[in-house]
Amino acid sequence: MSTGAAAIEVRGLAHRYHGAEGALQALDRIDLSVADGEFVSLVGPSGCGKTTLLRAIGGLLRVETGEVQVLGVDPEEAQQRRLFGLVSQEPGLLPWRSVEANVRLPLEVTGAAADVRALLTRVGIGEFARYAPRQLSGGMRQRVALARALVHGPRVLLMDEPFGALDELSREAMRLELLRLWESERITVLFVTHSIREAVLLSDRVVVMAPRPGRILDDLRVPLPRPRTDALEETPEFAALVTRIRAVLREAQ
Amino acid sequence: MRRGRLSGLAAGALPPAVFVLVLFVAWDLYVRWRDVKAYLLSPPVEVFRALATDPGRFADAAAESLTAALGGLLIASVVAFGLAVVMAHSRTLERALYPPALLVKVTPIVAIYPLLAIWFGFGIGPKVAIAALITFFPMLVNAVVGLRSIDPQAHDFMRVLHASRWQVFWRLRLPSSLPYVFAALRISVPLSLVGAVVAEFLSGSSGMGQLILIANGDFDTAGLFGAALVLAAMGVSLTAAVSYVEGRVLTWHDSSGG
Ligand SMILES: Nc1ncnc2c1ncn2[C@@H]1O[C@H](COP(=O)(O)OP(=O)(O)O)[C@@H](O)[C@H]1O
Ligand SMILES: [Mg+2]
Repeated sequence: MSTGAAAIEVRGLAHRYHGAEGALQALDRIDLSVADGEFVSLVGPSGCGKTTLLRAIGGLLRVETGEVQVLGVDPEEAQQRRLFGLVSQEPGLLPWRSVEANVRLPLEVTGAAADVRALLTRVGIGEFARYAPRQLSGGMRQRVALARALVHGPRVLLMDEPFGALDELSREAMRLELLRLWESERITVLFVTHSIREAVLLSDRVVVMAPRPGRILDDLRVPLPRPRTDALEETPEFAALVTRIRAVLREAQ
Repeated sequence: MRRGRLSGLAAGALPPAVFVLVLFVAWDLYVRWRDVKAYLLSPPVEVFRALATDPGRFADAAAESLTAALGGLLIASVVAFGLAVVMAHSRTLERALYPPALLVKVTPIVAIYPLLAIWFGFGIGPKVAIAALITFFPMLVNAVVGLRSIDPQAHDFMRVLHASRWQVFWRLRLPSSLPYVFAALRISVPLSLVGAVVAEFLSGSSGMGQLILIANGDFDTAGLFGAALVLAAMGVSLTAAVSYVEGRVLTWHDSSGG
């Protein structure tokens, strides 16, 4: 797979939702390329089509026009090859299963094998393996969702505002956790957020979007060194990037 | 934990038990004080005597009614759930199947008893059929809603893994539907008894329905009260049994009361 083929390649994608009040242009003329092993964030106000784009890439939504390729194949084929991992804003755990059994789900579905306990320990929930999801805090549940998304060894991790429902402290802890995990795994991550700071801290690139119609305004490299820590947020380089992205978003309004 | 649950149950059963006892005493006092005629309102003692003189008769009748009720409930639940699985997977099939199912619900079952008797004879057949018809709809509707009540994020997660419909069904839809299935059972269980007894009224051939008809013909008011008490006890026990199983199965669900 080291052909240099992009992990995610989106060309000329457009999508409308047809509702009672007519059609809504959720996405228009989207071109996006994410390299293998790259961490790319999508930022933008709500309603700009971030979720729609993520779902189109994951093969959860059949788009009207345009083309999506994931590691050289269409999303359906990518699903079959078990290339995806998914983390949504709500963890979407199965409440009747223990933490461990939830993380085992992808193994049951795909037939892959993995050391679930070791993974739970790596994401910091080793001692909660036998707990029910309802016994955990929101942050802990999201760690379970992260472990579940990684257990079968995906190549492309799709994350839709994964920390959006968490309080600020858990949010910061989860960011650093994700950074640490990603810096050791180096899988491709497409990360949706509406926190500009979060996007800059985590990403190699930040893709800025705007609504009506959902479109890409700008695509900025984040030339900050890795490994990154939260100390980075105090640097002038970080502040400059945040300011630039904010300006792009303001201009579009 | 089991101790806690049992003593909790006992604590829960105590207030209604005390209330029923008070009710019986008040009933007894009222009958004696106002000298109410026994054919209008039998004193509780008489009712218990009626039950105690021939308990076998009540027990046999109760067993017959119960068999028909539970037989009908079982058949209806299995068929309704199977149909719900089909309907939950296809809006088109749901639209096709819902009106006929609704027809079963809105038709007064009593009206089709003669037909059922022609088709199923005069034994247990039509009783089971009526119990089944009366419990069919609650299970169908609840099961369809339950099978559709899956967490969309969990569903997306499984789809992205290319999980088969079958995997989604066993691992997501079926467990998600269980709270709704139990809700349906709590409605259906007493309904199934109603169905069986109504059928017995109409056929007059067996069970609690026949026993009531006979007591009525004999002006045996104590017997009528006895029969009502037996049926009430059956309804309460069956509902309690459903709740018990529900509590055991749905430990993860909010309504199970943890
Ligand atoms: N299933 C749907 N049906 C109709 N409209 C939708 C649907 N999903 C999203 N939309 C609309 O499409 C636009 C983009 O939505 P979405 O992709 O969820 O944006 P974001 O994730 O950036 O908030 C919004 O205006 C939203 O209301
Ligand atoms: Mg969204």
